[in-house]
Amino acid sequence: MAATGEWVLMSYRLPREPSGPRTTLWRRLRRLGVAQLADGLVALPADARTRESLEWLADDVLAAGGTAGLWVARPAGAAQERELAAGMAAARAAEYRGLAEECSTAVAAEPAERSRALRRLRTEFRAIGRRDFFPPPEREDAVRALRALGEAAATEQVTR
Amino acid sequence: MRWATRAGVHIDRAACAWLIRRFLDPAAEFVFVADPADVPPDATPFDMRGVALGHVGSDCTFETILRRYELTDPVLWRIAEAVHEADLDDGRFDAPEAAGLDVLLRGLSMTGTDEQTLAVAGPLFDGLYEYHRRRLLLGREPA
Repeated sequence: MAATGEWVLMSYRLPREPSGPRTTLWRRLRRLGVAQLADGLVALPADARTRESLEWLADDVLAAGGTAGLWVARPAGAAQERELAAGMAAARAAEYRGLAEECSTAVAAEPAERSRALRRLRTEFRAIGRRDFFPPPEREDAVRALRALGEAAATEQVTR
Repeated sequence: MRWATRAGVHIDRAACAWLIRRFLDPAAEFVFVADPADVPPDATPFDMRGVALGHVGSDCTFETILRRYELTDPVLWRIAEAVHEADLDDGRFDAPEAAGLDVLLRGLSMTGTDEQTLAVAGPLFDGLYEYHRRRLLLGREPA
C-alpha cells in the first residue's frame, strides 16, 4: 500500500448567531484553500505553515464562543488521499482558469486599465499559489496568460 | 526579562523579537519552545496559541504588541503593515515589500537556527525602520 501523508485537521463548531464570526471564518478557510471533509471538519496537508494557520483559526473559533480541535492525521488509504488531493486541485484549477480568462480580457483593455488589472491579477495569482498544494495543469495556463498580459503592458509603456 | 515563542521563527516572530528588543526590553532574552506547555514560568509568551500577545481579531502578533504596549510611532505602524501582509496576506494593507520580507525570512529559517534568524533579521528591520522613518519625514520615497 502506498504511504499517505500527514494532514492537519480542524474540527469546529460555531454558534449559528451572530453570523459575523461564521462569515469571517468561512472567508479565512477559503483563503487557506482547505478541503471541507464534513460539516465542521476541514483539512490541509500538514506543514509548519498550515498548522499555524489553523491554530490561529481555532483560537478565533474559541474567541467567538465556539469549540475547536486540531488534529494531525493520515488518510487510512491512498485512494482516499488521492480523492482529497484531486478535489483540492480541481478547486484551484477553476481559480486558475478564471484568472487566465481575466488576463485575456485585460490584454484588450485600455493601457491604464491593463496595468491595474496586471497588478491585481499578479496578486491574485500569488494568493492562489499559496493555497495550491497539488498544482493542476491549469496553473501553467495561468502563468502564460499572466506573462502575455505583462508583456502587453510593458510594450505599451515603451512605445507610448 | 525572558520572552518565549514557538520554535521555527518566521516573519511575525522575528519582527516581534526585534520590536521587543529595540523598543520594550533592550536586555530581552528569547526562549524557543515546541509546545505552549514548555514556556518557562518567568517568561512572557508571544505569538503562540492562547496567550495575550498573539493574533487578536484580524491583527497579527506584531500589531497586538503595538496595541498592548501603546506604541504609537507611525513608523512602527507602517512596518506593522508589512509584517501583517507578509504573515497573513489578506490584502488589508498595501505593503509591496511584504512578499520579499516573507521570502527572506523563510529562507533564513531554512539555513540557520532561530537565534541566527533573529541575529540577521535585526539589522534588516533596523534598515526597514530607517527607510520608513525617512519616507514619512520626506513625504516621498527616500533616495
